[in-house]
Amino acid sequence: MANQALARLETALRDRRLDRTLTTALPAWEQRDDSTLPTGVAAFDARVRGGLPRGHLSEMVGAPSSGRTTLMLQTIAASTQRGEIAALVDTFDRLDVASAADAGIDLARLLWVRGPSISLGTGAAMPVRAGAAVSPGEPAGTDAAINRALKAVNLVLQAGGFGCVVLDLGDAPPPALRRIPFTTWLRVQRIVEGRDTACLLIAPHPLARSAGGLTLSLAARVRWTGDADRNRHLTGADINVRIVSPRRRVDGEICIAAFATTAHDDRPQRHGDTEPKFFTSVPLSLCGA
Amino acid sequence: MFAALYAARGSSCETLLDVARDFSPRIETCGACEVVLDLAGLTRLLGDAKTIAGELRRTAADRGLRVRIAIAGTRTAARLLARDRAGITIVEPGDEARALENLRLEWLEIFSKPEPNEPHEPHEPPDPGSRIPDPLTVTLRRWGLRTLGDFAALPADEVAARLGQTGAAWQRLARGEDAAPLVPSVAEERFEQALDLEWPIEGLEPLSFVLARLLEPLSAHLERRDRGAAALHIRLHLVKRNGVTREVHERTLQLPAPMRDARTLRTLALLDLESHPPSAAIDRVVVAVDPTPGRVIQFSLLTRPLPSPEQLSTLMARLTALMGEGRCGSTVTVDSWEPGAFEMASFAPRDSHDARSHAPHRLRDTEIKNPICASVPLWPVSANSAAPVPRLAIRRFRFPIPARVRVDRGVPVRVVSDRRGISGGKVDICAGPWRSSGGWWVAETRAPYSPHVPHPAQSPHVPHSPHWDRDEWDVTLSDGATYRVFRERDTDAWFIEGVVD
Repeated sequence: MANQALARLETALRDRRLDRTLTTALPAWEQRDDSTLPTGVAAFDARVRGGLPRGHLSEMVGAPSSGRTTLMLQTIAASTQRGEIAALVDTFDRLDVASAADAGIDLARLLWVRGPSISLGTGAAMPVRAGAAVSPGEPAGTDAAINRALKAVNLVLQAGGFGCVVLDLGDAPPPALRRIPFTTWLRVQRIVEGRDTACLLIAPHPLARSAGGLTLSLAARVRWTGDADRNRHLTGADINVRIVSPRRRVDGEICIAAFATTAHDDRPQRHGDTEPKFFTSVPLSLCGA
Repeated sequence: MFAALYAARGSSCETLLDVARDFSPRIETCGACEVVLDLAGLTRLLGDAKTIAGELRRTAADRGLRVRIAIAGTRTAARLLARDRAGITIVEPGDEARALENLRLEWLEIFSKPEPNEPHEPHEPPDPGSRIPDPLTVTLRRWGLRTLGDFAALPADEVAARLGQTGAAWQRLARGEDAAPLVPSVAEERFEQALDLEWPIEGLEPLSFVLARLLEPLSAHLERRDRGAAALHIRLHLVKRNGVTREVHERTLQLPAPMRDARTLRTLALLDLESHPPSAAIDRVVVAVDPTPGRVIQFSLLTRPLPSPEQLSTLMARLTALMGEGRCGSTVTVDSWEPGAFEMASFAPRDSHDARSHAPHRLRDTEIKNPICASVPLWPVSANSAAPVPRLAIRRFRFPIPARVRVDRGVPVRVVSDRRGISGGKVDICAGPWRSSGGWWVAETRAPYSPHVPHPAQSPHVPHSPHWDRDEWDVTLSDGATYRVFRERDTDAWFIEGVVD
């Protein structure tokens, strides 16, 4: 009897749409042209209905060599080439400028916030923070770098005007990430909510994603050509992206092929020049043959 | 009525201007230590021309100036009489021509030329034999004219017919007629505020209140003059604890765009002082700005709005205070094959606000054919995508990580590192070596580069070594990660340069 009454009550509430927790059908995602940030990879953008959602915090997670940096730079490049400005908070100063240029990023439109150039394991930051104010009691090393990066993201998001803001914690040790209070991510989500900015977090494992954001779990397999060490080279990677997004209902997997331009036999294209400078790098297999 | 003041050699021109400004706001600087005042309305305050002249001479004498004063109905007559006659000369309006009739003809030649920078004694016109006379002066002397009165008596149309426009202008000068109205000299306006504190203050918090008090009127002053601040100068007069030693702590902020918002200026000043704090207590604060005309901004409806320069400058100042000098901005590639070379630049997205920056790479060098649409991307947005296929990127360790590599027949077979996050392991597959070297033509001026021991004096932006010589390998380890490692050929040391990600 009680169950029937409960069932009738739930039916009545569902019919009148008074309680969303009872409705199994989530509201349809209203697609707006400017509500997503395309990554520039057509297959991926089609899969996620346009790209990374603006006004939400998404995350791109994976182990080293999973393709996070490749996809991150691709997203920033797409943003800058649309005329937007982007920001990269590089917690441990890992950005390779040549890779960024090869990805097509308009470097003049990218605000690069560089953390200390920490080589993980020592915990000690390189002495590059000249002139910065040091608060008393501030923890040193990795934790301090992460704290400053979070503050920097806060400042950038509050300033507004950026189409894409990326926080790179890809090399942060998991114990240090676990020490970040969960409320920190709530604050970031609250700041980015409603803005025209797509916020992207790069991390080794899922950390925080706003309700309307995406979690992209990446795994990659590199591709080689050649059969011997001296005539083999890296040609690219197949990046497998697993998409998790309950709100947007775009869950699934997709494989993206990335090609290497920093491969050694493509080096004449570096820095946009076609001619080598005063010398050229030569594979020893050709020299010694 | 006009009054001309002519100071003797060695007089302070600034003092002369101050004397003139005490009597009239409409003054014109006519040369070195020569000023002309418009006396309109002064008769009601001081009295007749004789009284005014007496007051002028007394005021100038009080300030240590020896001046000649002439008052006449025209500027030209007043200037000529001040140069020719010592003391005070007063001519009633309408009598200028008669007062000037006995002046020598050479005065016209001097008045028709620009004033020299250095003052000279005006008691005598230059000796006609001391320099090459003007041809017009030679002509007038040949005609038998010796004084301005002789020249002024000639018929004007005949003079113009024979001597042209210059002759006609000289004749008007000889009659004491003004060729142009008085053009008042505008005093250089200083945008500066200062405050002497009753007791010295320490710390930025009390200083912020002082800065707010100084910047509010400064901002209002800029707004009244429709100016913006191009640079902000802060001078803090410090007093040491012994109360005797004094020094000045000066900071100058170059602003990215003209601005006059007091709150923004105060924020920028405080952020800069946070990074460069004064070393002692402050007892005097001086704030000055370099004014510049305000900018006219017209936003485009066709391009994405960017943050205002005020917002960007505040953001950059906050980020710099947080992360350190030189750690925030945009980056540029350098013309070098040196691995990882780059340079930092200031973040100014508006500088790249042109259509070509929106274009795909293949169209960057094409000429924009329609200049009217220079601010509008000529390519559809859908075409403005990044590289159609993602480019494999590297996560670079700014300071390469030392590694222990076991080599078998010249091929790395095992890579191990002590750094956390890089587990290392057996090499599953590798490619290389790729020899890279350079910079050997640069003179060795610093200690040899050692990646695992960064030199404290080295720049964090560019790899520090003037030269490099190494063999690079791409290796995939058993942990699944792909690294770029290299062996320094000089030292046979192995390092991990980055992770292919």
